[in-house]
Amino acid sequence: MEAKNLTVCRNARLAEHLYLMEFEGAFTPPALPGQFIHIKIDGLFLRRPFSVAGQKNNRLAILYKVVGKGTEILARKKGGETLNAIGPLGKSFPVIKKWKNVYLAGGGTGIAPLIFLADKLSGEDVKITFFYGAKSRGCIGFEILPAGINFVFTTEDGSYGDKGLLDRAVCGFIGKNGRPDVIYGGGPAGLLKKIGRISEDFSVPAFVSLENRMACGTGICYGCVTKIKTGSGWEYMRICKEGPVFNTKDIKWD
Amino acid sequence: MGLNTLGVKIGGLSLNSPVIMMSGIFSYGEVVLDYLDYKKLGAIVTKTVSLEPRKGNPQPRVWEAPSGMLNSIGLQNPGIKAFIKKGLPAVRKNGIRIIVSVTGNSAEEISGIVNLLSAEKIDGIELNLSCPNVNRKELMAAQSPEMTWLLVKAAKKECGRIPLIAKLSPNVTDITAVAAAAEDAGADALSLINTVRGISVDVEKMRIMEGGLSGPAIKPAGLRAVYDVFRKTGVPLIGMGGIASGRDAVEYILAGASAVGVGSGFFSNPFLVDEIYRALGDFLKNNGIKKLSCASGLLNEKEKKQAGQPRRKRKV
Repeated sequence: MEAKNLTVCRNARLAEHLYLMEFEGAFTPPALPGQFIHIKIDGLFLRRPFSVAGQKNNRLAILYKVVGKGTEILARKKGGETLNAIGPLGKSFPVIKKWKNVYLAGGGTGIAPLIFLADKLSGEDVKITFFYGAKSRGCIGFEILPAGINFVFTTEDGSYGDKGLLDRAVCGFIGKNGRPDVIYGGGPAGLLKKIGRISEDFSVPAFVSLENRMACGTGICYGCVTKIKTGSGWEYMRICKEGPVFNTKDIKWD
Repeated sequence: MGLNTLGVKIGGLSLNSPVIMMSGIFSYGEVVLDYLDYKKLGAIVTKTVSLEPRKGNPQPRVWEAPSGMLNSIGLQNPGIKAFIKKGLPAVRKNGIRIIVSVTGNSAEEISGIVNLLSAEKIDGIELNLSCPNVNRKELMAAQSPEMTWLLVKAAKKECGRIPLIAKLSPNVTDITAVAAAAEDAGADALSLINTVRGISVDVEKMRIMEGGLSGPAIKPAGLRAVYDVFRKTGVPLIGMGGIASGRDAVEYILAGASAVGVGSGFFSNPFLVDEIYRALGDFLKNNGIKKLSCASGLLNEKEKKQAGQPRRKRKV
Protein backbone atom coordinates (compact mmCIF):
# COMPACT_ATOMS: atom_id res chain seq x y z
CA MET A 1 0.00 0.00 0.00
CA GLU A 2 0.99 3.60 -0.56
CA ALA A 3 -0.24 7.01 0.53
CA LYS A 4 0.11 9.39 -2.39
CA ASN A 5 -1.40 12.28 -4.27
CA LEU A 6 -3.46 11.40 -7.32
CA THR A 7 -4.17 13.98 -10.00
CA VAL A 8 -7.73 14.19 -11.26
CA CYS A 9 -7.76 13.87 -15.03
CA ARG A 10 -11.46 13.35 -15.56
CA ASN A 11 -14.51 13.90 -13.39
CA ALA A 12 -17.74 13.23 -15.25
CA ARG A 13 -21.39 12.57 -14.56
CA LEU A 14 -22.07 9.32 -16.43
CA ALA A 15 -25.70 8.89 -15.49
CA GLU A 16 -28.17 9.81 -12.81
CA HIS A 17 -26.49 9.16 -9.43
CA LEU A 18 -23.34 7.91 -11.13
CA TYR A 19 -20.07 9.79 -11.46
CA LEU A 20 -16.72 8.63 -12.76
CA MET A 21 -13.42 10.04 -11.51
CA GLU A 22 -10.22 9.13 -13.26
CA PHE A 23 -6.81 9.82 -11.81
CA GLU A 24 -3.36 10.07 -13.21
CA GLY A 25 -1.07 8.17 -10.86
CA ALA A 26 -1.83 4.60 -9.96
CA PHE A 27 -0.65 2.48 -7.04
CA THR A 28 2.20 0.05 -6.58
CA PRO A 29 1.43 -2.78 -6.29
CA PRO A 30 -1.46 -2.26 -8.71
CA ALA A 31 -4.99 -2.44 -7.35
CA LEU A 32 -6.92 -5.67 -7.92
CA PRO A 33 -10.68 -5.94 -8.54
CA GLY A 34 -12.45 -5.66 -5.17
CA GLN A 35 -9.79 -3.51 -3.54
CA PHE A 36 -10.47 0.09 -2.59
CA ILE A 37 -8.70 3.40 -2.06
CA HIS A 38 -9.21 5.76 0.87
CA ILE A 39 -9.46 9.37 -0.24
CA LYS A 40 -8.84 12.52 1.79
CA ILE A 41 -11.34 15.22 0.90
CA ASP A 42 -10.49 18.79 1.86
CA GLY A 43 -12.50 20.15 4.76
CA LEU A 44 -13.49 16.73 6.06
CA PHE A 45 -11.77 14.81 8.82
CA LEU A 46 -12.41 11.23 7.83
CA ARG A 47 -11.30 9.79 4.53
CA ARG A 48 -13.86 8.22 2.22
CA PRO A 49 -13.42 4.72 0.76
CA PHE A 50 -14.06 4.02 -2.94
CA SER A 51 -13.86 0.72 -4.74
CA VAL A 52 -11.43 0.80 -7.66
CA ALA A 53 -13.24 0.58 -11.01
CA GLY A 54 -10.06 0.07 -13.00
CA GLN A 55 -6.30 0.55 -12.99
CA LYS A 56 -4.44 0.51 -16.24
CA ASN A 57 -1.10 1.98 -17.20
CA ASN A 58 -0.81 5.02 -14.97
CA ARG A 59 -4.54 5.58 -14.59
CA LEU A 60 -6.99 4.66 -11.88
CA ALA A 61 -10.77 5.09 -11.84
CA ILE A 62 -13.49 5.17 -9.18
CA LEU A 63 -17.26 5.52 -9.38
CA TYR A 64 -19.31 7.52 -6.92
CA LYS A 65 -22.76 8.81 -6.21
CA VAL A 66 -23.37 12.19 -4.56
CA VAL A 67 -24.83 11.27 -1.19
CA GLY A 68 -23.37 13.79 1.24
CA LYS A 69 -20.77 16.47 1.88
CA GLY A 70 -17.79 14.40 0.80
CA THR A 71 -19.13 13.32 -2.55
CA GLU A 72 -20.53 16.83 -3.15
CA ILE A 73 -16.99 18.15 -2.84
CA LEU A 74 -15.71 15.36 -5.10
CA ALA A 75 -18.25 16.24 -7.77
CA ARG A 76 -16.83 19.79 -7.94
CA LYS A 77 -13.23 18.63 -8.47
CA LYS A 78 -11.63 19.79 -11.71
CA GLY A 79 -8.96 18.19 -13.85
CA GLY A 80 -5.47 18.92 -12.51
CA GLU A 81 -6.53 19.05 -8.86
CA THR A 82 -4.99 16.47 -6.57
CA LEU A 83 -6.41 14.23 -3.88
CA ASN A 84 -4.43 12.23 -1.36
CA ALA A 85 -5.29 8.57 -1.32
CA ILE A 86 -4.17 5.46 0.52
CA GLY A 87 -4.31 2.25 -1.45
CA PRO A 88 -4.78 -0.32 -2.66
CA LEU A 89 -6.58 -1.64 0.42
CA GLY A 90 -8.53 -4.72 1.40
CA LYS A 91 -8.92 -8.13 -0.19
CA SER A 92 -9.76 -8.62 -3.85
CA PHE A 93 -12.23 -11.03 -5.44
CA PRO A 94 -10.85 -14.57 -5.45
CA VAL A 95 -10.35 -15.84 -8.99
CA ILE A 96 -9.84 -19.54 -9.69
CA LYS A 97 -8.74 -20.82 -13.10
CA LYS A 98 -11.34 -23.59 -13.22
CA TRP A 99 -14.18 -21.08 -12.93
CA LYS A 100 -15.03 -20.75 -16.62
CA ASN A 101 -18.65 -19.60 -16.40
CA VAL A 102 -18.86 -16.47 -14.30
CA TYR A 103 -21.79 -14.26 -13.28
CA LEU A 104 -21.33 -10.69 -12.15
CA ALA A 105 -24.32 -9.01 -10.53
CA GLY A 106 -24.48 -5.45 -9.31
CA GLY A 107 -26.17 -2.11 -9.21
CA GLY A 108 -25.40 1.54 -8.52
CA THR A 109 -21.79 2.34 -7.67
CA GLY A 110 -21.50 -1.31 -6.62
CA ILE A 111 -20.69 -2.14 -10.23
CA ALA A 112 -17.24 -0.50 -9.85
CA PRO A 113 -15.31 -3.60 -8.70
CA LEU A 114 -17.34 -5.73 -11.14
CA ILE A 115 -16.44 -3.78 -14.26
CA PHE A 116 -12.82 -3.93 -13.10
CA LEU A 117 -13.13 -7.70 -12.65
CA ALA A 118 -14.93 -8.12 -15.98
CA ASP A 119 -12.15 -6.21 -17.69
CA LYS A 120 -9.49 -8.43 -16.08
CA LEU A 121 -11.31 -11.65 -16.90
CA SER A 122 -12.27 -10.72 -20.45
CA GLY A 123 -8.82 -11.57 -21.77
CA GLU A 124 -9.04 -15.05 -20.24
CA ASP A 125 -10.91 -18.11 -21.42
CA VAL A 126 -13.95 -17.24 -19.29
CA LYS A 127 -17.60 -16.82 -20.19
CA ILE A 128 -18.87 -13.70 -18.43
CA THR A 129 -22.49 -12.72 -17.90
CA PHE A 130 -22.96 -9.33 -16.29
CA PHE A 131 -26.30 -8.60 -14.59
CA TYR A 132 -26.75 -4.88 -14.20
CA GLY A 133 -29.67 -3.55 -12.16
CA ALA A 134 -30.77 0.09 -12.08
CA LYS A 135 -33.78 2.23 -11.16
CA SER A 136 -34.23 3.34 -14.74
CA ARG A 137 -32.43 3.71 -18.07
CA GLY A 138 -31.05 7.11 -17.03
CA CYS A 139 -29.14 5.55 -14.15
CA ILE A 140 -27.07 3.15 -16.25
CA GLY A 141 -23.45 4.10 -16.91
CA PHE A 142 -23.28 2.73 -20.45
CA GLU A 143 -19.97 4.37 -21.23
CA ILE A 144 -17.92 2.35 -18.78
CA LEU A 145 -19.28 -1.09 -19.58
CA PRO A 146 -16.56 -3.32 -20.99
CA ALA A 147 -17.06 -4.55 -24.53
CA GLY A 148 -17.45 -8.16 -25.58
CA ILE A 149 -19.42 -9.21 -22.52
CA ASN A 150 -22.96 -10.51 -22.32
CA PHE A 151 -25.06 -8.00 -20.34
CA VAL A 152 -28.46 -8.61 -18.79
CA PHE A 153 -30.12 -5.38 -17.72
CA THR A 154 -33.00 -4.91 -15.34
CA THR A 155 -34.68 -1.64 -14.42
CA GLU A 156 -37.25 -1.09 -11.70
CA ASP A 157 -39.48 0.92 -14.08
CA GLY A 158 -38.87 -1.27 -17.10
CA SER A 159 -37.35 1.58 -19.11
CA TYR A 160 -34.44 -0.63 -20.14
CA GLY A 161 -33.96 -4.40 -20.16
CA ASP A 162 -36.27 -6.51 -18.04
CA LYS A 163 -38.63 -4.83 -15.62
CA GLY A 164 -38.00 -5.90 -12.05
CA LEU A 165 -35.25 -6.65 -9.64
CA LEU A 166 -31.86 -8.05 -10.45
CA ASP A 167 -31.99 -11.21 -8.34
CA ARG A 168 -35.07 -12.41 -10.23
CA ALA A 169 -33.20 -12.01 -13.50
CA VAL A 170 -30.25 -14.00 -12.16
CA CYS A 171 -32.54 -16.80 -10.97
CA GLY A 172 -34.39 -16.85 -14.29
CA PHE A 173 -31.14 -16.99 -16.22
CA ILE A 174 -29.85 -19.89 -14.13
CA GLY A 175 -33.17 -21.66 -14.73
CA LYS A 176 -32.68 -21.38 -18.50
CA ASN A 177 -28.91 -21.66 -18.85
CA GLY A 178 -27.77 -23.68 -15.88
CA ARG A 179 -25.59 -22.80 -12.93
CA PRO A 180 -22.47 -20.67 -13.25
CA ASP A 181 -19.23 -21.65 -11.49
CA VAL A 182 -19.26 -18.51 -9.35
CA ILE A 183 -21.22 -15.31 -8.77
CA TYR A 184 -19.54 -12.00 -7.90
CA GLY A 185 -21.67 -9.19 -6.52
CA GLY A 186 -21.55 -5.52 -5.61
CA GLY A 187 -24.14 -2.93 -4.66
CA PRO A 188 -26.79 -2.30 -2.00
CA ALA A 189 -26.88 -4.69 0.98
CA GLY A 190 -30.37 -5.87 0.03
CA LEU A 191 -29.11 -7.09 -3.35
CA LEU A 192 -26.01 -8.74 -1.87
CA LYS A 193 -28.16 -10.58 0.63
CA LYS A 194 -30.27 -11.91 -2.23
CA ILE A 195 -27.13 -13.02 -4.07
CA GLY A 196 -26.27 -14.95 -0.90
CA ARG A 197 -29.67 -16.64 -1.08
CA ILE A 198 -29.12 -17.57 -4.75
CA SER A 199 -25.70 -18.98 -3.84
CA GLU A 200 -27.36 -21.17 -1.22
CA ASP A 201 -30.33 -22.23 -3.36
CA PHE A 202 -28.22 -23.22 -6.37
CA SER A 203 -25.07 -24.31 -4.50
CA VAL A 204 -22.90 -21.83 -6.35
CA PRO A 205 -20.08 -20.00 -4.54
CA ALA A 206 -20.69 -16.24 -4.35
CA PHE A 207 -18.41 -13.38 -3.34
CA VAL A 208 -19.68 -9.89 -2.69
CA SER A 209 -18.06 -6.56 -1.95
CA LEU A 210 -19.44 -4.91 1.20
CA GLU A 211 -19.49 -1.19 1.94
CA ASN A 212 -19.48 0.82 5.14
CA ARG A 213 -18.37 4.05 6.72
CA MET A 214 -14.68 3.79 7.52
CA ALA A 215 -12.22 5.70 9.65
CA CYS A 216 -8.77 4.14 9.16
CA GLY A 217 -9.39 1.96 6.09
CA THR A 218 -6.36 -0.12 7.02
CA GLY A 219 -7.55 -2.48 9.77
CA ILE A 220 -6.39 -0.55 12.80
CA CYS A 221 -9.58 1.06 14.16
CA TYR A 222 -12.35 -1.59 13.86
CA GLY A 223 -14.90 1.04 12.83
CA CYS A 224 -16.27 -0.65 9.70
CA VAL A 225 -16.96 -4.14 11.02
CA THR A 226 -19.71 -6.51 9.92
CA LYS A 227 -20.98 -9.79 11.37
CA ILE A 228 -19.11 -12.82 10.02
CA LYS A 229 -19.99 -16.37 11.00
CA THR A 230 -17.42 -18.34 12.96
CA GLY A 231 -17.39 -21.87 14.28
CA SER A 232 -19.08 -20.89 17.49
CA GLY A 233 -21.41 -18.14 16.28
CA TRP A 234 -20.29 -14.84 14.80
CA GLU A 235 -17.71 -12.13 15.23
CA TYR A 236 -17.41 -8.56 14.03
CA MET A 237 -14.79 -8.51 11.28
CA ARG A 238 -13.27 -5.56 9.50
CA ILE A 239 -14.69 -4.78 6.06
CA CYS A 240 -11.46 -2.88 5.28
CA LYS A 241 -9.13 -5.71 6.26
CA GLU A 242 -10.78 -9.15 6.16
CA GLY A 243 -12.99 -7.73 3.36
CA PRO A 244 -14.40 -5.82 1.58
CA VAL A 245 -14.93 -9.02 -0.42
CA PHE A 246 -16.56 -11.82 1.58
CA ASN A 247 -17.93 -15.22 0.72
CA THR A 248 -21.71 -14.85 1.10
CA LYS A 249 -21.89 -18.06 3.12
CA ASP A 250 -19.80 -16.38 5.84
CA ILE A 251 -21.86 -13.21 6.14
CA LYS A 252 -24.39 -13.02 8.95
CA TRP A 253 -26.99 -10.53 7.71
CA ASP A 254 -28.95 -8.45 10.21
CA MET B 1 18.06 15.95 15.20
CA GLY B 2 19.45 12.75 16.65
CA LEU B 3 17.45 10.19 18.50
CA ASN B 4 18.83 11.22 21.87
CA THR B 5 17.43 14.74 21.91
CA LEU B 6 13.95 13.36 21.34
CA GLY B 7 14.40 10.33 23.59
CA VAL B 8 12.14 10.48 26.64
CA LYS B 9 11.58 8.60 29.85
CA ILE B 10 8.05 7.93 30.94
CA GLY B 11 7.47 6.22 34.23
CA GLY B 12 10.76 4.35 33.97
CA LEU B 13 10.15 3.49 30.33
CA SER B 14 12.83 4.79 27.97
CA LEU B 15 11.59 5.62 24.49
CA ASN B 16 13.59 6.61 21.42
CA SER B 17 10.82 8.92 20.30
CA PRO B 18 8.13 10.83 22.19
CA VAL B 19 5.52 9.95 19.57
CA ILE B 20 3.17 7.19 20.67
CA MET B 21 0.29 5.57 18.83
CA MET B 22 -2.49 5.89 21.34
CA SER B 23 -4.86 3.11 22.29
CA GLY B 24 -7.69 2.23 19.95
CA ILE B 25 -6.30 3.58 16.74
CA PHE B 26 -3.58 1.08 15.92
CA SER B 27 -5.21 -2.29 16.46
CA TYR B 28 -2.77 -4.39 18.51
CA GLY B 29 0.25 -3.24 16.56
CA GLU B 30 0.18 -6.26 14.25
CA VAL B 31 -0.95 -4.40 11.14
CA VAL B 32 1.99 -3.30 9.01
CA LEU B 33 1.52 0.02 7.23
CA ASP B 34 4.01 0.53 4.42
CA TYR B 35 3.91 4.32 4.62
CA LEU B 36 4.64 4.55 8.34
CA ASP B 37 8.21 5.09 9.54
CA TYR B 38 8.21 2.85 12.61
CA LYS B 39 11.60 4.16 13.74
CA LYS B 40 9.93 7.46 14.59
CA LEU B 41 7.41 5.79 16.86
CA GLY B 42 8.39 5.55 20.51
CA ALA B 43 5.76 2.94 21.31
CA ILE B 44 2.31 1.79 20.44
CA VAL B 45 -0.54 1.31 22.86
CA THR B 46 -2.77 -1.61 21.90
CA LYS B 47 -6.51 -1.58 21.69
CA THR B 48 -7.93 -2.17 25.13
CA VAL B 49 -8.00 -5.80 26.18
CA SER B 50 -10.45 -7.14 28.77
CA LEU B 51 -10.43 -10.36 30.79
CA GLU B 52 -13.18 -11.94 28.66
CA PRO B 53 -13.62 -11.43 24.90
CA ARG B 54 -15.91 -8.56 23.89
CA LYS B 55 -17.86 -8.42 20.63
CA GLY B 56 -17.95 -4.64 20.60
CA ASN B 57 -20.76 -2.28 19.64
CA PRO B 58 -23.17 -2.55 16.68
CA GLN B 59 -22.93 -0.24 13.66
CA PRO B 60 -22.59 2.65 13.18
CA ARG B 61 -19.23 2.84 14.91
CA VAL B 62 -17.66 5.87 13.25
CA TRP B 63 -19.13 9.19 12.23
CA GLU B 64 -17.77 12.42 10.81
CA ALA B 65 -18.04 15.41 13.17
CA PRO B 66 -17.03 19.04 12.72
CA SER B 67 -13.21 18.92 12.92
CA GLY B 68 -13.17 15.39 14.19
CA MET B 69 -15.03 12.14 14.50
CA LEU B 70 -17.20 10.18 16.86
CA ASN B 71 -16.36 6.57 17.52
CA SER B 72 -18.18 3.84 19.31
CA ILE B 73 -16.15 0.67 18.88
CA GLY B 74 -17.09 -0.63 22.32
CA LEU B 75 -13.77 -2.28 23.20
CA GLN B 76 -14.05 -5.17 20.74
CA ASN B 77 -11.22 -7.54 21.70
CA PRO B 78 -10.41 -11.24 21.88
CA GLY B 79 -9.91 -11.31 25.66
CA ILE B 80 -6.59 -11.38 27.50
CA LYS B 81 -5.82 -15.09 27.04
CA ALA B 82 -6.27 -15.08 23.26
CA PHE B 83 -4.39 -11.78 23.08
CA ILE B 84 -1.37 -13.17 24.92
CA LYS B 85 -1.40 -16.33 22.82
CA LYS B 86 -2.00 -14.89 19.34
CA GLY B 87 -1.88 -11.11 19.48
CA LEU B 88 1.36 -10.49 21.35
CA PRO B 89 3.63 -12.73 19.25
CA ALA B 90 2.37 -10.95 16.10
CA VAL B 91 3.27 -7.52 17.49
CA ARG B 92 6.65 -8.64 18.74
CA LYS B 93 7.52 -9.56 15.17
CA ASN B 94 7.22 -5.87 14.28
CA GLY B 95 9.86 -5.00 16.86
CA ILE B 96 8.03 -2.01 18.28
CA ARG B 97 7.70 -1.08 21.92
CA ILE B 98 4.36 -2.22 23.13
CA ILE B 99 2.15 -0.85 25.87
CA VAL B 100 -0.88 -3.03 26.49
CA SER B 101 -4.12 -1.21 27.27
CA VAL B 102 -6.37 -3.09 29.69
CA THR B 103 -9.72 -2.58 31.34
CA GLY B 104 -11.87 -4.30 33.93
CA ASN B 105 -15.12 -3.79 35.76
CA SER B 106 -13.67 -4.38 39.22
CA ALA B 107 -10.42 -4.41 41.14
CA GLU B 108 -10.46 -8.23 40.97
CA GLU B 109 -10.79 -8.24 37.20
CA ILE B 110 -7.99 -5.70 36.84
CA SER B 111 -5.77 -7.70 39.19
CA GLY B 112 -6.43 -10.82 37.16
CA ILE B 113 -5.65 -9.32 33.80
CA VAL B 114 -2.55 -7.41 34.96
CA ASN B 115 -1.30 -10.53 36.71
CA LEU B 116 -1.50 -12.47 33.44
CA LEU B 117 0.35 -9.71 31.59
CA SER B 118 3.05 -9.24 34.22
CA ALA B 119 4.77 -12.44 33.06
CA GLU B 120 4.91 -11.23 29.44
CA LYS B 121 7.60 -9.30 27.67
CA ILE B 122 5.84 -5.97 27.28
CA ASP B 123 7.02 -2.42 27.84
CA GLY B 124 4.10 -0.96 29.72
CA ILE B 125 0.51 -1.37 30.83
CA GLU B 126 -2.07 1.35 30.31
CA LEU B 127 -5.15 1.14 32.45
CA ASN B 128 -8.13 2.40 30.46
CA LEU B 129 -10.41 3.90 33.07
CA SER B 130 -12.20 6.14 30.63
CA CYS B 131 -13.86 4.41 27.67
CA PRO B 132 -17.09 6.31 26.96
CA ASN B 133 -18.63 3.51 24.90
CA VAL B 134 -19.28 0.71 27.38
CA ASN B 135 -21.78 0.63 30.26
CA ARG B 136 -22.97 4.08 29.25
CA LYS B 137 -25.49 4.29 32.05
CA GLU B 138 -22.83 3.83 34.69
CA LEU B 139 -19.96 6.08 35.65
CA MET B 140 -16.57 5.44 34.10
CA ALA B 141 -13.94 4.62 36.70
CA ALA B 142 -12.08 7.81 35.76
CA GLN B 143 -15.13 9.85 36.75
CA SER B 144 -14.49 9.01 40.39
CA PRO B 145 -11.20 9.68 42.20
CA GLU B 146 -12.02 6.87 44.66
CA MET B 147 -12.69 4.28 41.97
CA THR B 148 -9.63 5.44 40.05
CA TRP B 149 -7.49 5.00 43.17
CA LEU B 150 -8.88 1.54 43.81
CA LEU B 151 -8.32 0.24 40.29
CA VAL B 152 -4.86 1.78 39.87
CA LYS B 153 -3.87 0.28 43.22
CA ALA B 154 -5.12 -3.14 42.12
CA ALA B 155 -3.12 -2.93 38.89
CA LYS B 156 -0.01 -1.60 40.62
CA LYS B 157 0.06 -4.54 43.01
CA GLU B 158 0.24 -6.99 40.12
CA CYS B 159 2.29 -5.25 37.44
CA GLY B 160 5.69 -5.80 39.03
CA ARG B 161 8.37 -3.81 37.25
CA ILE B 162 6.24 -3.00 34.22
CA PRO B 163 5.44 0.73 34.12
CA LEU B 164 1.78 1.50 34.77
CA ILE B 165 -0.03 4.29 32.96
CA ALA B 166 -3.56 5.42 33.83
CA LYS B 167 -5.71 6.83 31.02
CA LEU B 168 -8.08 9.49 32.23
CA SER B 169 -11.26 11.05 30.96
CA PRO B 170 -12.04 14.68 30.18
CA ASN B 171 -15.69 13.99 31.07
CA VAL B 172 -15.24 15.07 34.69
CA THR B 173 -15.71 18.07 36.93
CA ASP B 174 -12.07 18.19 38.01
CA ILE B 175 -9.54 16.04 36.20
CA THR B 176 -6.76 17.09 38.56
CA ALA B 177 -8.48 15.34 41.47
CA VAL B 178 -8.66 12.11 39.49
CA ALA B 179 -5.06 12.50 38.36
CA ALA B 180 -3.92 13.03 41.93
CA ALA B 181 -5.76 9.88 43.00
CA ALA B 182 -4.11 7.87 40.22
CA GLU B 183 -0.70 9.18 41.20
CA ASP B 184 -1.31 8.45 44.85
CA ALA B 185 -2.32 4.87 44.01
CA GLY B 186 0.97 4.34 42.21
CA ALA B 187 0.48 5.21 38.54
CA ASP B 188 3.88 5.79 36.93
CA ALA B 189 2.43 8.03 34.24
CA LEU B 190 -0.89 9.39 33.01
CA SER B 191 -2.42 9.49 29.54
CA LEU B 192 -4.56 12.58 28.98
CA ILE B 193 -7.18 12.65 27.47
CA ASN B 194 -9.58 9.98 26.31
CA THR B 195 -12.39 11.05 23.98
CA VAL B 196 -15.08 13.57 24.88
CA ARG B 197 -18.59 12.12 25.06
CA GLY B 198 -20.86 13.33 22.34
CA ILE B 199 -23.64 12.53 19.94
CA SER B 200 -24.42 13.37 16.35
CA VAL B 201 -27.98 13.59 15.09
CA ASP B 202 -28.86 11.89 11.82
CA VAL B 203 -31.82 14.00 10.71
CA GLU B 204 -32.77 11.78 7.76
CA LYS B 205 -32.87 8.56 9.73
CA MET B 206 -34.10 10.27 12.93
CA ARG B 207 -31.51 8.61 15.11
CA ILE B 208 -28.45 9.54 17.11
CA MET B 209 -24.90 8.35 16.79
CA GLU B 210 -23.41 8.14 20.25
CA GLY B 211 -19.69 7.98 20.87
CA GLY B 212 -16.43 9.56 21.88
CA LEU B 213 -15.36 12.71 20.08
CA SER B 214 -11.76 12.91 18.89
CA GLY B 215 -9.84 15.03 16.41
CA PRO B 216 -8.86 18.73 16.32
CA ALA B 217 -12.22 19.65 17.90
CA ILE B 218 -10.98 18.40 21.29
CA LYS B 219 -7.43 19.73 21.26
CA PRO B 220 -8.18 22.70 23.55
CA ALA B 221 -9.79 20.31 26.06
CA GLY B 222 -6.75 18.04 25.98
CA LEU B 223 -4.32 20.92 26.39
CA ARG B 224 -6.34 22.26 29.31
CA ALA B 225 -6.21 18.86 31.04
CA VAL B 226 -2.46 18.45 30.53
CA TYR B 227 -1.74 22.02 31.60
CA ASP B 228 -3.77 21.66 34.81
CA VAL B 229 -2.66 18.14 35.72
CA PHE B 230 1.00 19.05 35.20
CA ARG B 231 0.70 21.54 38.07
CA LYS B 232 -1.11 19.18 40.35
CA THR B 233 0.94 15.98 39.96
CA GLY B 234 4.53 14.85 39.70
CA VAL B 235 4.22 12.00 37.22
CA PRO B 236 5.04 12.21 33.51
CA LEU B 237 2.10 12.90 31.21
CA ILE B 238 1.39 11.53 27.76
CA GLY B 239 -0.58 14.31 26.09
CA MET B 240 -3.17 13.47 23.48
CA GLY B 241 -6.40 14.70 22.00
CA GLY B 242 -6.71 16.32 18.60
CA ILE B 243 -3.06 16.31 17.58
CA ALA B 244 -3.15 16.83 13.83
CA SER B 245 0.16 18.58 13.16
CA GLY B 246 3.69 18.90 14.46
CA ARG B 247 2.82 22.21 16.01
CA ASP B 248 -0.03 20.64 17.98
CA ALA B 249 2.49 18.25 19.51
CA VAL B 250 4.78 21.13 20.48
CA GLU B 251 1.82 22.79 22.21
CA TYR B 252 1.16 19.64 24.27
CA ILE B 253 4.84 19.42 25.29
CA LEU B 254 4.88 23.07 26.37
CA ALA B 255 1.67 22.54 28.33
CA GLY B 256 3.28 19.73 30.30
CA ALA B 257 3.36 16.52 28.30
CA SER B 258 6.51 14.38 28.30
CA ALA B 259 5.35 12.49 25.23
CA VAL B 260 2.46 12.80 22.79
CA GLY B 261 -0.18 10.40 21.58
CA VAL B 262 -1.25 10.25 17.96
CA GLY B 263 -4.87 9.30 17.47
CA SER B 264 -7.47 9.76 14.79
CA GLY B 265 -5.37 12.52 13.20
CA PHE B 266 -3.31 9.67 11.76
CA PHE B 267 -6.31 8.50 9.75
CA SER B 268 -6.45 11.87 7.98
CA ASN B 269 -2.72 12.31 7.65
CA PRO B 270 -0.65 9.15 7.16
CA PHE B 271 2.55 11.17 7.58
CA LEU B 272 1.59 12.70 10.93
CA VAL B 273 4.18 10.73 12.92
CA ASP B 274 7.01 11.99 10.69
CA GLU B 275 5.68 15.53 10.86
CA ILE B 276 5.51 15.52 14.65
CA TYR B 277 8.96 13.99 14.97
CA ARG B 278 10.41 16.65 12.69
CA ALA B 279 8.53 19.52 14.32
CA LEU B 280 9.64 18.57 17.83
CA GLY B 281 13.26 18.33 16.69
CA ASP B 282 13.03 21.68 14.92
CA PHE B 283 11.44 23.28 17.95
CA LEU B 284 14.30 22.19 20.21
CA LYS B 285 16.89 23.33 17.71
CA ASN B 286 15.28 26.71 17.06
CA ASN B 287 14.97 27.45 20.75
CA GLY B 288 18.35 26.13 21.82
CA ILE B 289 16.79 23.48 24.08
CA LYS B 290 19.00 20.44 24.64
CA LYS B 291 16.39 17.76 25.01
CA LEU B 292 12.67 17.36 24.94
CA SER B 293 12.28 16.79 28.67
CA CYS B 294 13.57 20.34 29.22
CA ALA B 295 10.68 21.67 27.12
CA SER B 296 7.97 19.71 28.93
CA GLY B 297 5.72 22.05 30.84
CA LEU B 298 7.78 25.10 29.99
CA LEU B 299 4.62 27.23 30.03
CA ASN B 300 3.80 26.20 33.57
CA GLU B 301 7.34 26.64 34.75
CA LYS B 302 7.49 30.08 33.21
CA GLU B 303 4.38 31.09 35.09
CA LYS B 304 5.64 29.64 38.36
CA LYS B 305 8.93 31.41 37.97
CA GLN B 306 7.09 34.67 37.53
CA ALA B 307 5.18 33.90 40.71
CA GLY B 308 8.42 33.14 42.53
CA GLN B 309 7.66 29.42 43.05
CA PRO B 310 10.40 26.79 42.81
CA ARG B 311 10.48 24.31 39.92
CA ARG B 312 8.90 21.06 40.95
CA LYS B 313 11.02 17.99 40.43
CA ARG B 314 9.18 15.40 38.40
CA LYS B 315 9.59 11.69 38.47
CA VAL B 316 10.59 9.92 35.31
